Amino acid sequence: MKSQVEEINRNIYDIKNKDEYDFKVKKGLTPEIIEEISKQKNDLEWMREFRLKALETYNKLELPTWGPDLSELNMEEIATYVKPKTKLNNSWEDVPEEIKETFDKLGIPEAEKTSLAGVGAQYDSEVVYHSMKEELIKQGVIYTDMETALKSYPELVKKHFMKCVPVSDHKFVALHGAVWSGGSFVYVPKGVKVDIPLQSYFRLNSPESGQFEHTLIIVDEGASLHFIEGCSAPKYNKVNLHAGCVELYVKDGAYLRYSTIENWSKNMLNLNTKKAIVGKNAKMEWVSGSFGSKISMLYPMSILNGEGSKTEFTGISFAGKGQNLDNGFKVIHNAKNTSSVVNAKSISKNGGTCTYRSLVRINENAQNSKSSVSCESLMLDDISKSDTIPVNEIQTDEVEFSHEAKIGKISDKAIFYLMSRGLSEEDAKAMIVRGFANPIAKELPIEYAVEMNNLINLELEGAIG
Amino acid sequence: MNKQLLEIRELNVDVGEKEILKGINLTINKGEIHVIMGPNGSGKSTTANVILNNPEYTKTKGSIIFDGEDITNSRTDEIARKGIFMSFQSPEEIPGVSVTNFLKYSKNKVTGEPVKIFAFKEEIKKYVEELNMNPKNIERDLNVGFSGGEKKKNEILQMLVLNPKLAILDETDSGLDVDAIKTVSKGIEMFKNDDNAILIITHNTKILHSLKVDYVHVLVDGKIVKTGSQELAREIEENGYAQYRK
Amino acid sequence: MEKIKLNETPVRTSRNFRINNIKLENIWIPEEIKEFKNIKILNENSKLEIIDKTSDINLTYGLNEIFTKQVENSANNNTQLIVNSKTNKETQIEFNFDELSDVLVEDIEIVANEDTKATIIIKYNSSNNIKAFHNGIIRTKAKPGSNINIIIVNLLNNNSDNFIAIQNVLEENAKVNYSIIDFGGKHSITNYYSNLIGEKSENNLNSIYLGSEEQIFDLNYIGELRGVQSNIKIEVQGALKDYAKKHFKGTIDFKKGCKKAKGYENEACMLLSDTAKSLALPMLLCSEEDVEGNHSSSAGKIGAKELFYIMSRGFKFKEAMKLLVRAKFNKILKNIQNEELRQTILKEIDKKI
Repeated sequence: MKSQVEEINRNIYDIKNKDEYDFKVKKGLTPEIIEEISKQKNDLEWMREFRLKALETYNKLELPTWGPDLSELNMEEIATYVKPKTKLNNSWEDVPEEIKETFDKLGIPEAEKTSLAGVGAQYDSEVVYHSMKEELIKQGVIYTDMETALKSYPELVKKHFMKCVPVSDHKFVALHGAVWSGGSFVYVPKGVKVDIPLQSYFRLNSPESGQFEHTLIIVDEGASLHFIEGCSAPKYNKVNLHAGCVELYVKDGAYLRYSTIENWSKNMLNLNTKKAIVGKNAKMEWVSGSFGSKISMLYPMSILNGEGSKTEFTGISFAGKGQNLDNGFKVIHNAKNTSSVVNAKSISKNGGTCTYRSLVRINENAQNSKSSVSCESLMLDDISKSDTIPVNEIQTDEVEFSHEAKIGKISDKAIFYLMSRGLSEEDAKAMIVRGFANPIAKELPIEYAVEMNNLINLELEGAIG
Repeated sequence: MNKQLLEIRELNVDVGEKEILKGINLTINKGEIHVIMGPNGSGKSTTANVILNNPEYTKTKGSIIFDGEDITNSRTDEIARKGIFMSFQSPEEIPGVSVTNFLKYSKNKVTGEPVKIFAFKEEIKKYVEELNMNPKNIERDLNVGFSGGEKKKNEILQMLVLNPKLAILDETDSGLDVDAIKTVSKGIEMFKNDDNAILIITHNTKILHSLKVDYVHVLVDGKIVKTGSQELAREIEENGYAQYRK
Repeated sequence: MEKIKLNETPVRTSRNFRINNIKLENIWIPEEIKEFKNIKILNENSKLEIIDKTSDINLTYGLNEIFTKQVENSANNNTQLIVNSKTNKETQIEFNFDELSDVLVEDIEIVANEDTKATIIIKYNSSNNIKAFHNGIIRTKAKPGSNINIIIVNLLNNNSDNFIAIQNVLEENAKVNYSIIDFGGKHSITNYYSNLIGEKSENNLNSIYLGSEEQIFDLNYIGELRGVQSNIKIEVQGALKDYAKKHFKGTIDFKKGCKKAKGYENEACMLLSDTAKSLALPMLLCSEEDVEGNHSSSAGKIGAKELFYIMSRGFKFKEAMKLLVRAKFNKILKNIQNEELRQTILKEIDKKI
């Protein structure tokens, strides 16, 4: 029996606006281009030097010798900075009509009214909208674009900027350091609990360009936050590049949940880097849905530096035709009594490739730590691929570590059982796939769970009452 | 009005390369309860599964007529929508789909009509009480982590909700304690009326102590070797199947 | 001295994870290879044809070029074992390393003809104070319907270096049960590769390692499923004490066409000291839909509750630990029918802990 689950319906995401911009830097990557970006952005001197040094590092580092083939990426063909034809706004009314319409169709302003405490929206290289509820401002919460943050909180930003993810981490982090622009900055003061999520949405419209937004979040002692990141782009024939960077500081006793629904178009190379440093008794939760991109290499990482710190990763990847999604998770247990829980799933169909790649490292000083990892992969046909490549490094004996992985197809018996209840074969398969993804959908805010189900495009919804 | 609901004619069935059923004939009318009994491996479960056209089994000869239509080669979901329900011997676990949502969805599929949520919830609540089920179970994932008894009760719940014309109960009583068997019998009585019928497949006779049936068929080595009344079940309880074996 | 890289995994992952290969420094690779004299063959009535013969070595993986070439060019033992018996007879080959015979570079080829059965035990011992070097290639060709048990027992001392590359080809309905008892060697590096090309071919690999002092184990086990309904099971149980280190790399690769194949892999590592280190990469690679693959891996101390229970029955801490390690290893040892060999292994376990 062959699966008939439909290709993801991308109509909403594929709206292409005219490639209009205020400024677009020349394609390619030279010190002159970096200088030009720096000038356009009115960088402080330290940032200008930082960018140029990052470019040097970029030129020294090699492409990864593992994972998906990145040979089609030609930096000569990518414009790394595209400034949209608008300034930063705090009212949707002021956002140019065409750009606003795009975000309207993606449901961002609507979600802001009903279920979010603050929204940031980036179009190509710059943030075009940022706003947050009044009461959070009163409590001292900062949620703004990186640009503003650099000007208004220079010390705070400089102290944390690319300290969690150093430029030398890998080639695309170095690239990010050189050409970054846009992104969000969040600071939640000690003890402040932000109950309703904040969301930043990243939209790349310009063809043959890259998006390199920088997200920096500091959740101070005892504070809590749920942050959502959404992203999409229309499909072009040539490669687009996303090499964002997310740095999260979860201080002692703090809590941060970082949710992502990644739905880049299928010409996107998504080489994103995300890392969190987690303090004493703090908790970092990652929820991640990866549906888009031609190639994705994304391995969020938690560094459990504080005693009693915890992290959880819940993720799903769905690879269809022409997609190679190489995703996973990394955790370093670097203090006593730390714990990590990983629940990763993947679905491969129509010749798509899903890889789960991971690292669990329990250092010598992490006595009495626990880690449990579970991976499940579903193959929907025999032309797809699904690989599980987990590395587990245990450096001390006082640990409980377990890892489990399963690979297989939808069971014929389960299909027969559901068909005996009146479901067609397609419905039965769709129900099983949706059920498979459900533990991840459950972790998402309801709108995103719905978006995810739309993405999986199971026709279940309409039929129920 | 035509009373005949199911007619199986000269049915031969293979599993892999082995012949399991060797010419089954069976007629079930509306308002009747039939029992097929037989030792392990005689072809009982095969009979239940081929009525729903499980693709693991191959029909080599014969036909199945249901409610005046030939369903020999119909797809499983079409057969279900025509009004045949099977309670599985070992119901599948479907992670991520709650019992309630599943019932709503399959009710909609079987009837082809939208389900009225509030009335439907009330109906389920009533059945859950009658079947002495843990109300929390219907919010859990379908059969996932259910005990054997919970799974069987969940099958009976589905039977009541979907309200088929013919219910086939494949070893629904096996592995259950006395109380659970009574609950299952109660479910069967709630379901039963003059317009529907039940086919019970079992290898023991316990369930027949608390249920009145119309016909008992003895299936040995892929053939029905004897048909009788409830009395026949009692006789088998005493003497076993030995006399029917060659 | 220069570093040599060996035992590459079939698929690479991030270099920072330090598991794609093992780099060894200052490894003694002897250039002059003398005769190896102490070979003992037991149970010669097993109808096994033992021939002194070289054949072409075509390794798909192997440890690296240096080690493969050394066997190809300068082996001091070439043995071909041909199985013709229809009943399961046991043959044991023992290599005893001493001052005079301290280097063994060998090529063993096992050919199991159609529908034959055999048990072959290959054992490596060394006297205490020498530094032995072993570089061996053991290839097995299991023809249709053959059923072969192979048991490799490495009881070398902790000064020695042990390098083994194993390659199995399994044809239709062939069954190969491999057991590897891996105890000795300063470095014990094993490359194990099974190619299950035949329909319904079946390979079980059961392995135990036991590391003490500063021993390093690098186990690279690879199973490629090609045949319809082929089946591989890898079960690895190990324990590490002192500063011992283990890298386990297990790959089950479902190749296109291996419909209804099954692969299972379990690796459990008991850490008996807070300075022992375990690194594991249990990979599942899949290019076929209708398959079942499972792997699991675990690491940690022996359970405190279990230990307490045993000690409450009057056992001392060390005895209780021994008992529990033995209990875990029994899962693997039960596959070894030869009682004498089992006792030898159990004694060695007691000695090492």
